[in-house]
Amino acid sequence: MNSKKLYPWYFAAGAALVYFLLCFLPGVLGIGYSFTDWNNFTTEVNFVGLDNYKQIFEGNSEYITYILNTVMFTIVTTAAKTIVGLALALLLTQKFIKCKNFQRMIIFSPQVMSYLVVGLVFKSMLHPTTGFLNNFLRSIGLEALAKNWLTDLNLVFPSVMTVDTWKGMGYIMVVVIAGLMSISPEYYEAASIDGANFFQKFRCITLPLLKPVLVNVTVLNVTYGLRVFDMIYALTNGGPGNATGVINTAVYKEFSKGNLAMGTTLSSVLFFFMLAILYFIIKSMENKEVEA
Amino acid sequence: MKKNLKRWAGLSLAGVMALSSLAGCGSEGGSDGDSGSSKSVTLTFGSHQSGLPTSGIVQDLAKEFEEETGIKIDFQISPDAQWRDLIKVKLDSGEAPDIICVDTPIGLASSIHMDQYCVELTDQEWVGRMEDSARSAVSVDDKTYGITFPGAKMYFYLYNKDIFQELGLEVPTTYDEFKDVCQTILDAGTTPVYECTTNGWHQVLPLFETGGLWLADDSEIYDKLNANEVDLDEIPHLLTIIEQLQECAEAGYFGEDYLSNAWENAKEAMATEKCAMTIAELGFRGEVEADYPDFKATEKLGAFIMPWGDNQTIGVNPASNAYFINKDSKYTEEAKQFFEFLARPENLQKRLDGQPELSALCWPEIESKYSEEDQAFLDSAEKANVVQTSVNYIDSQWMDIGKDLEAMYTGASSPEDVLKTIMDRRTEQAQLQKDPGWTE
Repeated sequence: MNSKKLYPWYFAAGAALVYFLLCFLPGVLGIGYSFTDWNNFTTEVNFVGLDNYKQIFEGNSEYITYILNTVMFTIVTTAAKTIVGLALALLLTQKFIKCKNFQRMIIFSPQVMSYLVVGLVFKSMLHPTTGFLNNFLRSIGLEALAKNWLTDLNLVFPSVMTVDTWKGMGYIMVVVIAGLMSISPEYYEAASIDGANFFQKFRCITLPLLKPVLVNVTVLNVTYGLRVFDMIYALTNGGPGNATGVINTAVYKEFSKGNLAMGTTLSSVLFFFMLAILYFIIKSMENKEVEA
Repeated sequence: MKKNLKRWAGLSLAGVMALSSLAGCGSEGGSDGDSGSSKSVTLTFGSHQSGLPTSGIVQDLAKEFEEETGIKIDFQISPDAQWRDLIKVKLDSGEAPDIICVDTPIGLASSIHMDQYCVELTDQEWVGRMEDSARSAVSVDDKTYGITFPGAKMYFYLYNKDIFQELGLEVPTTYDEFKDVCQTILDAGTTPVYECTTNGWHQVLPLFETGGLWLADDSEIYDKLNANEVDLDEIPHLLTIIEQLQECAEAGYFGEDYLSNAWENAKEAMATEKCAMTIAELGFRGEVEADYPDFKATEKLGAFIMPWGDNQTIGVNPASNAYFINKDSKYTEEAKQFFEFLARPENLQKRLDGQPELSALCWPEIESKYSEEDQAFLDSAEKANVVQTSVNYIDSQWMDIGKDLEAMYTGASSPEDVLKTIMDRRTEQAQLQKDPGWTE
C-alpha cells in the first residue's frame, strides 16, 4: 500500500533527525532524570526509582492539588473558549452585522497581547477597592457584586479562567470563522427550501461540517490548558497561598528551589497525561476522516 | 484600489511586527558588539524592584558613568516575588545579566551561591572601605564577591502621631496593648495597619525580625537551629506570632484589601492617613515625604518596636542587597569599573542624598542621616540580629512563607500548618544540600 508513495522515507530523515535531537532526546532524558535525585547542590545523580512519583501521588501532597487545578483549568477554559468562540464566529458571519472585520479584529486583539501584560492589567482592574470592575459595579448600584476577585478562595480560580477565556476566545473565533467560510452555502440554501430554521441548520449542517475544525480547536485548547503558566504567574503567582497553583507553576518552583528531579518528575507526569488525552482526541479525529 | 490599500496595510503591519521582534532581540543581546572599545559596551543590570531605589538614583549614577566612560548600563527590573526564582534559573541556564543584584548574605548554606557564579572582587580598592558586617555579608570564606551600600536594616511600626494623639493613644509595648490600639483606631473609622501580601515579603517580617525574643530564651538558639539540634516548633514565639497575625487579620486590623495590596501603595496609604501604622524602616518617612511633600512624614510619623509576641528588641539586619559581577560576562572589567565609580566618596554621598528611604550607608566614611530623635530612639532599645541572616533555610523560603501566610489569611490553612510547612521546607532544603546537621 505504501509502495506507491511518491517520496522515499529518507526525504524526511533530516527533519526527523532534528526532531530526534532537539525534541525527542531531551524529552526522554527528562523522563530519565525523574527517576533520580538530581539537584542543584551536588554533582552526584543517584537512581531513586519511583520515589519522586510516590511523593507526588502519596497522601495529601500539594502536588495533587496542582494536578487537579490544572485539569479543572483545562476543562473549563476549553469548554468556555470553544462555546464563546463558536458563538462569536456564528454571530460575526451573519449578514446583518455591520463592520464584521473590524469587530473580528477587536475580539481577536487580546490574543496578540503578551500574557504578562494581560495579567498585570487585569490584576489592577480586579483590585477590590481601586480596580475598574468593582468601581464600575458600585457606580451602577451593584455594590453587592463587587467582590475580592483575586483573593477570595471561591472566586479566584473562576476569575483567572474568565480572563484566560477572554484572551483566548478570539483565536478560536477566527479559526471557526475560517471553517464556517469553507462550508458551501448551497447546503444552507437547500435546507432553507426545506423549511429548516436556524437551529436545525446549525445542528444538521454547521456542527457536523465544523467537526474537524472543532477537534483541532479542542486539541489546541487542551494542550494550552495543561501547559498553562504565564497567565497564572502574572495574575496571581499561584496565590492566594497555593490556591491557583498548577503543574507548571510547581515545576518552576521546584527548579528554582534546586530540586531539579522533582521538576522533571512533574513535567513527566504532565507529559504522560497529555499524551494519553491527545491519543484519544487524535483517534477521534482519524475516525472523522474515514467517514468523510 | 481597495485591494491595494488592504495589501499595503497588511504589509506595513507585517513590517512593524518584524521590526518589533527585531527590537526585542536588540535589547536582549544588548551586550553584544565590539568588545575592544568601551564605546559600544552595554552592561546588563538585573535586579528586583526593591533592589533599586525608587528615586532612580542608581540609574542617574549609571548615566553619569556612561557620560564619563561611554559604557551603557541597561537595567532589567523584575518583580520582588519572582526575582529569587528567576535569577537562580537564569544563573543555572547561563542567561544571567552582567551585573546581578541579589539580597545578602551570600554565605549561608541556603543563600544563592553567588561565589560560584560571580567574579571575586577581594583585590578591589573599595573592599576595605565597607563596614565589616556588610563586607562579611557579601563574602564567602573571606573572599569578597559583591558591593553593597545600604546600612543595617531595621524595621519598626511607623505610626501616625496625629491619629494617636486625637484618639488619646499611647505607643504599645505589648501585644495586648497593640490590639487595643488597633481596635480604637478601627472604631474611629481608620484602617489600623497597612499590610500587603502581593509582594510576598512584607507580611513575613513579624515572624523573623523578632529574633530578639528567641535569643532572650537561649542565646545560642541560632547555632542550635543550624545544627538541627532544635527545630522551629520548639520556639514558642514563632507560633504565637503567627497566631497573633491571624487574629489581627480576622479582627480587620489590616483592613479589607491587604491581600490585594502592594507595598508600592504604602506611601499613599500613610500620606493620605487612610492607615495609621505600617511596618517599615525609618527611612520610609523620607520616601513618603519625597512623594507627598504636603504630608510632613518625617515629623508626623513616629516609630515603635514591633510588639508581636511582646517583643521589645530592635531586629537588626546587617544584610541588604548587593551587586555582583557574573563570571560568564564578557565585560567583567567594565563592570568592575562601574563598581569603582559607585564606590567613589562623592558618588556614595550622592546615593545617600538621592535615596530618601535610606538613613545610613554601610560605608563609615559617609555620615548617616538619622536625626537626634531617631538616634536617641535607636540607642534606647536593645538590638538583636534578625533570624533570616543567621539561621539557614529561612531567607531562601521567605517568599514561600509569604504565600503560606496568605493561605492562612484566606482560611485555607491554620497557623500550625504554616509552621509545619516552614519546618518541612527547611528539612527538604537541608537534605537536598546534604547539610550535615540533617544527614548525619
